[in-house]
Amino acid sequence: MHELSIVYHIVDQVLKVAEENQITEVESIVLQVGELASVIPRYLHACFPVAVDGTMLENTKLEIEILTANGICKNCGNVYPLLENLNLCPECKSEEFEMISGRGFYLKEIRAC
Amino acid sequence: MKEFRVLEIKESIFEDNNKDAQLLREQLKNDNTFLLNLMSSPGAGKTTTLVNTINRLKNKLSIAVMEADIDSDVDARTISETGVKVIQLHTGGMCHLDADMTRQGLKGLDAKGTDLVFLENVGNLVCPAEFDTGSTKNAMILSIPEGDDKPLKYPLMFQISDVLIINKIDAMEVFDFNMELCIERVKKLNPDIEVFPISAKTGEGMEAWTEWLYKEIKGE
Repeated sequence: MHELSIVYHIVDQVLKVAEENQITEVESIVLQVGELASVIPRYLHACFPVAVDGTMLENTKLEIEILTANGICKNCGNVYPLLENLNLCPECKSEEFEMISGRGFYLKEIRAC
Repeated sequence: MKEFRVLEIKESIFEDNNKDAQLLREQLKNDNTFLLNLMSSPGAGKTTTLVNTINRLKNKLSIAVMEADIDSDVDARTISETGVKVIQLHTGGMCHLDADMTRQGLKGLDAKGTDLVFLENVGNLVCPAEFDTGSTKNAMILSIPEGDDKPLKYPLMFQISDVLIINKIDAMEVFDFNMELCIERVKKLNPDIEVFPISAKTGEGMEAWTEWLYKEIKGE
């Protein structure tokens, strides 16, 4: 359970950007979370109100987009979503793959007034 | 309707910690301090392995230890019996250490001039793998009772570790642990990883492990 500390970190990052850009009101912030990023979106939402309490982000909405975990098959080169295929290539059934996305965790954008 | 300005940030949230970890790593290199981040699940034998390792190296190197736990100082007490400097870090519920917490620990330890600092991370195979502590090398311990399937279940931990210690080999007979299969699984995830099967209790395999560590520290 490390979501709370991560959310505090994100709030700091957003406040820094807001200050640099002389923003006084932030409508929403958008995060991108990889399916295999070991961060749970539901917990990020749950921790967010605590982290923004007393800051200018008190009324800011948190939006989270999920990034699919994709792998490229080392045998046939097929690119496929890992979770729904249980890591197995749906084309050739090989289990040798390289992960190409899905572990990332990004602050995508800030919508400001 | 209000008009919004969209600021595209596209920055990795872990980026700050990664940069901070890199800074710490460089600073440690300049200070000639080798920081080993030791990770495992709870009960794999981190503290027993540390005590045995310290006793084999303390005459050749100056050593200090940072113990990270959610609570208690039971490990720090055990380590302090070896006579090396030890500091207990309480993470207060946090499941891992990051670079800034590590830096604070090193400061509290007054580690400047120390050859080797062990960071005993929180017992957990998931979160500590995600956060770079700024350590010189990452080591992990897998113990025989945990099973040879752990590389399949916690791949990231095995991928980011430079060295794998397989502990409690004195209990091999009692458990269905296939050493060959386990190492094969690990090497598939991380071909460069060094593997040392040991028993911190009987001392078997400890010499190979501590010799490797000593050479790494001395840059041989």
